Amino acid sequence: MKAQTNNGEGAETMQPYMSVKNVSHVYPNGVTAVKDIDLDIYEGEVVAILGSNGSGKTTLVKHFNGLLTPTKGEITVGGLNTKKEKISKLSSLVGYVFQNPNHQTFLPSVRKELEYGCTNLKMSESEMEERVNKAIELFELEDKLEDNPFDLNSSQRKEVAMASIMAVSPKVIVLDEPTTGQDHKGCKRVLDLVRMFKEHGHIVVLITHDMHLIGELNCRTIVMNQSRKIADDQADIVFSHKGIMKEAGLQPPQITSFANDLSNLDSSKTYLTVDSILSWIKENKEKKEEAVQIGSGS
Amino acid sequence: MNSLYMPKDSLIHSLDPRTKMIFVAFVVASSFIMNDPALQLLLLVALFPLVVIAKLVKPYLISIQFLLLFAVLIMTVHGIYNPIGVTPVFEIFGGLTFKYESMVYASVMSFRILVIGTGAVLFVMTTHPSDMASALVKWKVPHSFAFILLSTFQIIPIIAREAKIVMEAQQARCLDVKGNIIQRVKNLVPMFAPLFIITFMKVHQLSYVLECRAFSRKGNKTSLRETNIGSLDYSFLLGMLAVLVFEIYLKLFMMGSLQLTTDALLTYSLIGTWVVCGFMLIKFLFKRVQGKVGGVN
Ligand SMILES: Nc1ncnc2c1ncn2[C@@H]1O[C@H](COP(=O)(O)OP(=O)(O)OP(=O)(O)O)[C@@H](O)[C@H]1O
Ligand SMILES: [Mg+2]
Repeated sequence: MKAQTNNGEGAETMQPYMSVKNVSHVYPNGVTAVKDIDLDIYEGEVVAILGSNGSGKTTLVKHFNGLLTPTKGEITVGGLNTKKEKISKLSSLVGYVFQNPNHQTFLPSVRKELEYGCTNLKMSESEMEERVNKAIELFELEDKLEDNPFDLNSSQRKEVAMASIMAVSPKVIVLDEPTTGQDHKGCKRVLDLVRMFKEHGHIVVLITHDMHLIGELNCRTIVMNQSRKIADDQADIVFSHKGIMKEAGLQPPQITSFANDLSNLDSSKTYLTVDSILSWIKENKEKKEEAVQIGSGS
Repeated sequence: MNSLYMPKDSLIHSLDPRTKMIFVAFVVASSFIMNDPALQLLLLVALFPLVVIAKLVKPYLISIQFLLLFAVLIMTVHGIYNPIGVTPVFEIFGGLTFKYESMVYASVMSFRILVIGTGAVLFVMTTHPSDMASALVKWKVPHSFAFILLSTFQIIPIIAREAKIVMEAQQARCLDVKGNIIQRVKNLVPMFAPLFIITFMKVHQLSYVLECRAFSRKGNKTSLRETNIGSLDYSFLLGMLAVLVFEIYLKLFMMGSLQLTTDALLTYSLIGTWVVCGFMLIKFLFKRVQGKVGGVN
């Protein structure tokens, strides 16, 4: 498996930030949820994890901050072996946003919610101030600071939960199904946030069933099926691979299927978004016009 | 599926839940009528064949372990320190003596825990929760009350599962759950606040779901699982009655002449529980060590 980064270069020489070596996890009840996974995640990457229900996605990412430890193999995060470190320490490196914000939030105001992680890490007052303010700015929460999280609507509450994780400014942020149950605006917001996290130098790991979201990001995509990793590549390459998509029971974004089915399109390329198809059509049109002009000129 | 019920094919399982409820009441009553260590030990031994008939020996032993831990604590601490004791029975190192009266007291108490525990385990593990509810309804218990009981049984595993998720979610917020005692007490707030809220939400949701499915409609409700009192139940009930009569007879007329409880019995039962507990401890430590060794590889 070749490691890929979004900017595509320098990956070979760089040390991975997070490294999963031959990891399996068997739950106490005997269910093998993750089997023989190898995975390197590098600085600056956005990694999407795809797969049907019960394929082991959540189990895999719970290993990243030590909530679970591998029953076979090992994981290093920022040079630390997850088996030997406290979860609280690992959680300051890898922020994990749970799917249901109700499991995470419990304090009476958004500001307290944001400060909570920092107080757990026994940060100095000034450092906490700085980090919390950064999160407030990033999530544009200035006018909600004194609100009770339970008075906010579900997508806002999700955002507060995310902000409270980001407030300790972990290197990696893991989002477990962030767009599930969100309206269009909420989904768009998640997309913007992911891009923003990347810009700010975070690694983003994203579990999702939202093919559209992955299409927009066109990020590195890992496909899980029956506890195993069956694909690990750029989204357009994974989406164009019919065998893998079928095996994992995935359906690429409609526009991709559409483009694949239009036989006269340039089949060496996979189109993930409406915009990319539009620009391709425009390009073709221009070419045609050029050809017509040349034709009429002679 | 998410209760303590263990589906098996046995005579005890096929008894009507009402019979089994009476059985539990009978066990509790017996354990109070026979407030003598020897008789209670007899009762405990007599209950064991029922566990075997129910094919529940292994789960029973697992669940009774914890009660046994209580028994050992009670017998040891009371045996030495309870002030009602006057007659020394035997002495262990450092001048700590077990006294007869306090040992009797402690044995009665801890055997009672074990006896009632056995009865309760037998009932819970062999009775499907909805059977219990429908049996209660047949006893003219209001349907909603039976349902409260039923849902209490069923919500416990759900809460346990949610608790685990909440704990993980708080750990993801850098909460150190393995701190010292003060730290742990402080951690109760981030653990229980979300758990309470989630449980309330779930119960609230449940009430809506029930309403949507016409729960509060008046009149009789049909039950998918029929329970009937048959000849097996009658013979079981008769057996219980006979034993109960015998117990009362024993208690009223024979107590003076019958003296089963001796120093030796008390001492042996005490040492017996120690040995079993020691065995459990060794097993536990062994597993720990094995886990550690396995973890390194
Ligand atoms: N705590 C647990 N104990 C035992 N088995 C579990 C536990 N958690 C998950 N499993 C099992 O492990 C398998 C993988 O579960 P996991 O939650 O990782 O899947 P997932 O890919 O996240 O699915 P989803 O898309 O539904 O979130 C499933 O078969 C599940 O039943
Ligand atoms: Mg999941």
